[in-house]
Amino acid sequence: MMNWFRNKSKPSSGKDELTLKELLSKCRASKDFISFEQSDVYTVSYYKSMVDTATVHRDVLPILNLDPSQSLDYLKKILPVESVLVTGDITKIQSRLLNGNILIQKPLTNKCLLVPAVSKEKRQITIPENEYTVLGPKESFVESLETNLNLLRKRLPIPELYVKELIVGRLTKTKVVVVYIEGIANEDIVNTAIDRISNIDIDQVIDTTYITQMIEDNNNSVFPQLIETERPDRVAGVLSEGKIAILCDGSPSAVTGPTTLVEFFSAFEDYFLTWHVASFFRLIRLFAVSFSVLSTPLYVAVLTFHFEMIPEDLLYTLISSRSGIPFPPIIEAIILELTIELLREAGSRLPSKVGQTIGIVGGIVIGTAAVDAGLTSNVLLIVVALAALASFTTPVYKMSNTIRLLRFPFLLSAQLLGLMGIAICFAFILVHLLKLKSFGSPYIGPVYPLRLRDLKDALFRLPFSQQTVRPFTVLSEKPVRFNHKHHAEKQPDKDIDE
Amino acid sequence: MLPKPAENKQVSAYFVFYIISTMQIGVGILGFERYISRDAGNDAWISIILSGVSIHVLVWIIYQILKTGQHDIFTIHRNLFGKWIGGSLNFFFVLYMIMFGIITLRSFVEVIQVWMFPDMNTWYLSMIILVIVYLAVLGGFRVIVGLSLLSILYGLPLLLLKWFPLKQAHYYYLEPIMNHSLSDLFKASKTMTLNYLGFETLFFYFPFIKEANKSQKWAHLGVVFTVCIYLFTGLVSFVYFSKEQLSHTIWPTLSLWQTVDLPFIQRFEYFGLSIWLFVILPNICMHAWAASRGLKQLFSLKQKKGLVLVLLIIFIASLFLTDRQEVDMATTIVGKIGFYVVYLYIPFIYIYQLIQSKVRKKA
Repeated sequence: MMNWFRNKSKPSSGKDELTLKELLSKCRASKDFISFEQSDVYTVSYYKSMVDTATVHRDVLPILNLDPSQSLDYLKKILPVESVLVTGDITKIQSRLLNGNILIQKPLTNKCLLVPAVSKEKRQITIPENEYTVLGPKESFVESLETNLNLLRKRLPIPELYVKELIVGRLTKTKVVVVYIEGIANEDIVNTAIDRISNIDIDQVIDTTYITQMIEDNNNSVFPQLIETERPDRVAGVLSEGKIAILCDGSPSAVTGPTTLVEFFSAFEDYFLTWHVASFFRLIRLFAVSFSVLSTPLYVAVLTFHFEMIPEDLLYTLISSRSGIPFPPIIEAIILELTIELLREAGSRLPSKVGQTIGIVGGIVIGTAAVDAGLTSNVLLIVVALAALASFTTPVYKMSNTIRLLRFPFLLSAQLLGLMGIAICFAFILVHLLKLKSFGSPYIGPVYPLRLRDLKDALFRLPFSQQTVRPFTVLSEKPVRFNHKHHAEKQPDKDIDE
Repeated sequence: MLPKPAENKQVSAYFVFYIISTMQIGVGILGFERYISRDAGNDAWISIILSGVSIHVLVWIIYQILKTGQHDIFTIHRNLFGKWIGGSLNFFFVLYMIMFGIITLRSFVEVIQVWMFPDMNTWYLSMIILVIVYLAVLGGFRVIVGLSLLSILYGLPLLLLKWFPLKQAHYYYLEPIMNHSLSDLFKASKTMTLNYLGFETLFFYFPFIKEANKSQKWAHLGVVFTVCIYLFTGLVSFVYFSKEQLSHTIWPTLSLWQTVDLPFIQRFEYFGLSIWLFVILPNICMHAWAASRGLKQLFSLKQKKGLVLVLLIIFIASLFLTDRQEVDMATTIVGKIGFYVVYLYIPFIYIYQLIQSKVRKKA
């Protein structure tokens, strides 16, 4: 039944064959399409906007002038351009023409010559802005797929680095590539990804985030299940862990997976620092996340239901700060949380210079004024501000959004059932997380199913000498990364002053 | 007969450890001390061990039955007793699981009503918890196992809090050792059995364990772990409260949490009880899962629909238990049924199965 409807609503995908003439007359309707006669024999046509005119003038036109009687196949041989094609296939002609090829026709033949002369307009490689690190490489992806793949291949110069290309999007015809290391990445996961991408039916793909949203295991989850990154070094790193990456033309970010929840809280800089510092930062981040989600709900729960829980001295401080405030804690908390969200949203929509002003105006003026006016208690102001700050420690942008959103259900359930409500809300999330998968691998990673070995690079980051095996979640075909013991045997255990 | 579950629905053998101990620790551990010290006084800790030893024997018997049958109890019943008798036994086991679901849920809600929200209606909290249970069981057996594992991870740190009562312990409360008669000890052990119940869910999830035959040692370790926890909890209560005080204290663990003295938090029991949600959640999930699986087997009802039915029954039944007396009475009755099931019925199937297999061999 559903299929019947679906078939009906499917627009015709332009399969009915055009003739070359019809195609060209369609193209001529656009102003940037050029068609002219060269040496009285050849008809040369191309989209001026897509073609590098230097190539046309330097390489193509002089050769056409040499000997007008030659066949197209001979031209193919002598043209100093790679992958020249002689074909009569209309679909090929159409896609090549639209991707910056020059079409050369000769009268009395139904074949034509296609010469690639793509003009490559692209942005320079810049430093990563969203995932900036003090140490480590400073390159980031740009909008050109070729450049991005170049950045990856430079880091992994091995033939096993496979790049599988798919075309997605009825209108945009976007090139989407799946990158993985053959023999390390799990084949089933690669096939799952390729299957899911080729099953996408959509008219436009503007960015990799489109792909992410459509291939995630559960589209209705607040938790992102794949990590997007703009750092080629991060992608190279996860590829060698046995994960896969998906890039798409026109997007400066790559998607990597399968991931686990803890990976969202590990910054790539952790690998550039010594392991003690990195582990400490990871624990700080974990604390920050729990603080960010739980602090305001705890405030509401304790002040609404369980004020007996507060020790006497602290209670005095709280009461004096809350005296004279006309709202119950929940209203107070929601007002402040929404204000913070408002400031953040306004700050991120405005140009950066104006944004700073908003931050100062919002943070200092509104906050102090609200306390002075007796609308909120200053204790809550501290709590909310710290919670907002803590939510920004999450290294992956999508996850920090999720964490900010999660605060609100916790707030409401704290109002309904106090501490029990917070526990219930947590239970809901836990059950959801237990069910969640990323490319078929369990999302809450080394915790369940419990893999003690994987914890080395989860809550802590132990030294590289300990990271001899690939994480279990990627189900790598080759689990052992390197043999550390082999190296260690060469150096016998030396005594003091030997 | 249900087919064996696919491999990606199964869990590794060592998870039996977590499942067994989570299923054995529920609401009971919050208040078992009063019942056993009534009979055995300061020697009640011996009963905890005695009862634990008998559980080991029962786990051994259960494994013998399951290894011979190589399937869950529903199929084994059918094979042993035929369609009608086996079917009605299966129906009884479904009811048995539902009863445990009701008791676990209702006693937890009762604790919350007494300690946290005296004015809260039963249906309110029951409904919310059952919705979580519904979502969890929809995820299948693996999710329940995950909840069990996490419940141990969350629950264990709570044991550290026993440090505070131990600072004020009177160790001489335990002396003189062995001043009660054996019959007293056995009486207390019998009471103690109710708390250890839950291990018999092995009957239902056995086919979901990878290399299930090798999982026996994990099951025994799980029981040892539970016994240790009960023993530790019991001992702390026995050295903190006198017998007199203990007879008035319904939930000694909660009262002990009140002695927790931290600079930033008082009345720790609010916090502890909220965490306790995660301890009872896998219990109710497992009972609901087992019951709905039984319904699927019996009436070829889709497990999703069976689950809704089971949860509705649990919900409605928990509304009928209105006050402390009724909850206590229901717990006692279910405890008695459980006692006879594990001590009489389980050995009975074992022997019946032995005899039948011998008869079949001869024929």
